[in-house]
Amino acid sequence: MNRRSFLKGGLAATSLLAAPAFLKQAYAAAPVTIYGLKSMSGAFASYGRFAEMGSKLAVQDFGPLLGAKPAYATIDTESNAGKAVRKVQEAVQQQGAVFFDGCTLSSTALAVGKEVAKAGGVFVTPAGADEITGTDCNRSTFRWTVPTYGAIHETVRPLAKLMPKAKRWYTITPQYVFGEALLSAAKDLFKELGVEHVGNSYHSMQEQEFSGYLTNAMAAQPDVLLILNFGGQASNCLRQAVNFGLKKQMTILMAWTAGLDQFQSLGPDILEGVYMGAQYWHQVQSPMNIELVKRVKEVYGISPNYPLAADYIGTKVILEAIKKAGVAKGPAVAKAMEGMVYDGPTGKETIRAVDHQVIKDYYLLKGKAKSAMKDPDDLATVVSAGQSFPQGDKILCKMA
Amino acid sequence: MLNLYLFQILNGLGLGMIYFLISVGLTIIFGLLNFVNFAHGGFFMLGAYFCYALLQATGQFWVALVAGPLAVGAMAWVAEKVLIRRAYHLPHTFHILITVGVALILQEACIIVWGPIGKSIPIPETLQGVVIMGKFAYPKYRLFLILFSAVIGFALWVLLERTRFGALVRAGSESTEMVSLLGADIYKLFSLTFALGVGLAGLAGVLSGPIRGAHPFMGPEVLGLAFVVVVIGGMGSFTGALVGGLIIGLVQSLMSSLWPEGASLMIYGAMAAVILLRPYGLFGRA
Repeated sequence: MNRRSFLKGGLAATSLLAAPAFLKQAYAAAPVTIYGLKSMSGAFASYGRFAEMGSKLAVQDFGPLLGAKPAYATIDTESNAGKAVRKVQEAVQQQGAVFFDGCTLSSTALAVGKEVAKAGGVFVTPAGADEITGTDCNRSTFRWTVPTYGAIHETVRPLAKLMPKAKRWYTITPQYVFGEALLSAAKDLFKELGVEHVGNSYHSMQEQEFSGYLTNAMAAQPDVLLILNFGGQASNCLRQAVNFGLKKQMTILMAWTAGLDQFQSLGPDILEGVYMGAQYWHQVQSPMNIELVKRVKEVYGISPNYPLAADYIGTKVILEAIKKAGVAKGPAVAKAMEGMVYDGPTGKETIRAVDHQVIKDYYLLKGKAKSAMKDPDDLATVVSAGQSFPQGDKILCKMA
Repeated sequence: MLNLYLFQILNGLGLGMIYFLISVGLTIIFGLLNFVNFAHGGFFMLGAYFCYALLQATGQFWVALVAGPLAVGAMAWVAEKVLIRRAYHLPHTFHILITVGVALILQEACIIVWGPIGKSIPIPETLQGVVIMGKFAYPKYRLFLILFSAVIGFALWVLLERTRFGALVRAGSESTEMVSLLGADIYKLFSLTFALGVGLAGLAGVLSGPIRGAHPFMGPEVLGLAFVVVVIGGMGSFTGALVGGLIIGLVQSLMSSLWPEGASLMIYGAMAAVILLRPYGLFGRA
């Protein structure tokens, strides 16, 4: 063997011996990717854009995770459950996707949750349907938002306490699962509080003209009008109620609002004096929220709103759980999330192990007069905050 | 209880006049041009946004009421010259494809200019407040809408029935070839009619602004409603748009008290009944 052959052979042998170490290092350095399921097009595109900002920022600001900087990819759900499920299947099969955050629409979140559970992944959603952490719960799905039970208890109860003489309440309800759940919770609470439910107008999911239902409300002469719809419908319902002069005839409460972006759209003239329930409010002085507001203003030049904050914290919680688990495997990360306590935008937040529901505050806000606003986003003041969640037998989740 | 239904009838008439304004442009365009304009809702949305922008710039709703529809009409005139007229000879499926594309462009343009969050449009100061009727209150602005829509409807009737332009439009809806052979500039007529129809959608958008605000995704909902009115009244019929709008307004308002959960459904129920009894609509022609 000459010197050249010896050197060649030695180099080859050294390379072969070192290969496992290089491979291991290369494997460890593969970035963990969070897939953001956002409505970037379709009827809920306005929410999707803010939600994407939240997830991107959470990933961008997170340090190294399992030896590499985490990555982020958006999947456009097109505000359509069928398309979202197909895209999630593709991401799982073709890219080995495991970690998902998002889905504004309950129907999409429910369908995606089942798909992610089949693949053994982890999915955190801000969607509203009670079933997500109720009858349709599963090992992979976690929900940040307070369900309908808490939204009613943390708005109707404090308002009834604030206005003990307001004994006649009228409701306007969208006739689908979300609206029915809010109405059912409201009726139960009315009984407990000794409040008379003087009438209800159901409306369809497509309705945008509320004058007929508002006329029914006027005829019933209630003390409080409780609006139980959401998004654009709630905005149009409130706008038209104010047009009809109802603000002067009765107190108006919207139990479930989208928060700042919806308030910006309505403006102070409409919001002044109206009570509103909210999952998140940028003025809450929790340590993490103060940081979040500062950071979002730095990066995007706006105050964080509900979709941005919800998807920010959803994504951040997944990243923290991966770090805690020390491995990017769905079941291990899901296990690490159960019972997790962390600093969230609403203060200390806990993920309840039994149903994967995040236990957090829900807010009752009151619209401010234009003259009382300190800045353009200072549209409401926090009247009360609290936590109400189904307990014991009322938890409908039976984790398989 | 009787008062409730009387009030719902008044409310239904108000709604009906808004629906008439929304749909009359669509029916005029289809009547003359035999063109299906799926961008009608998009132009309605543009009217609402122009109202918002002009109010921001001038603080005058009345300026927006005049300039908004004119601006939308002018954009439609340009769109007709550049794009729409190339599709007249193509089947309706191409009209749908092209105008859905235009609607999406308008929607995304509004998001780029005004952002994804909707805008509220205040009611002009002189029309703020309500008229009290017993235990009911009716917004002054909606009363103004009823009267203003009636005036616009009458002006349109005069334009279409009592002027040379109207005679050409009506003749064109019967036979474009014949009108062309008689020496009328049919393409100019088409451009003006398209601009007029779309300008009316813009006017409806401006007027609806204080009730529904301006939102980038409001177009498809309005488009669906406009088609229901036009199908009930008969494609291409001015009277049909008026009667169809009033029927839908009254059905929706009365059903809000009689069967609230079915109020929206009954709009389509009314349309289905008309299609079964008169397949070409109440005032449509075979």
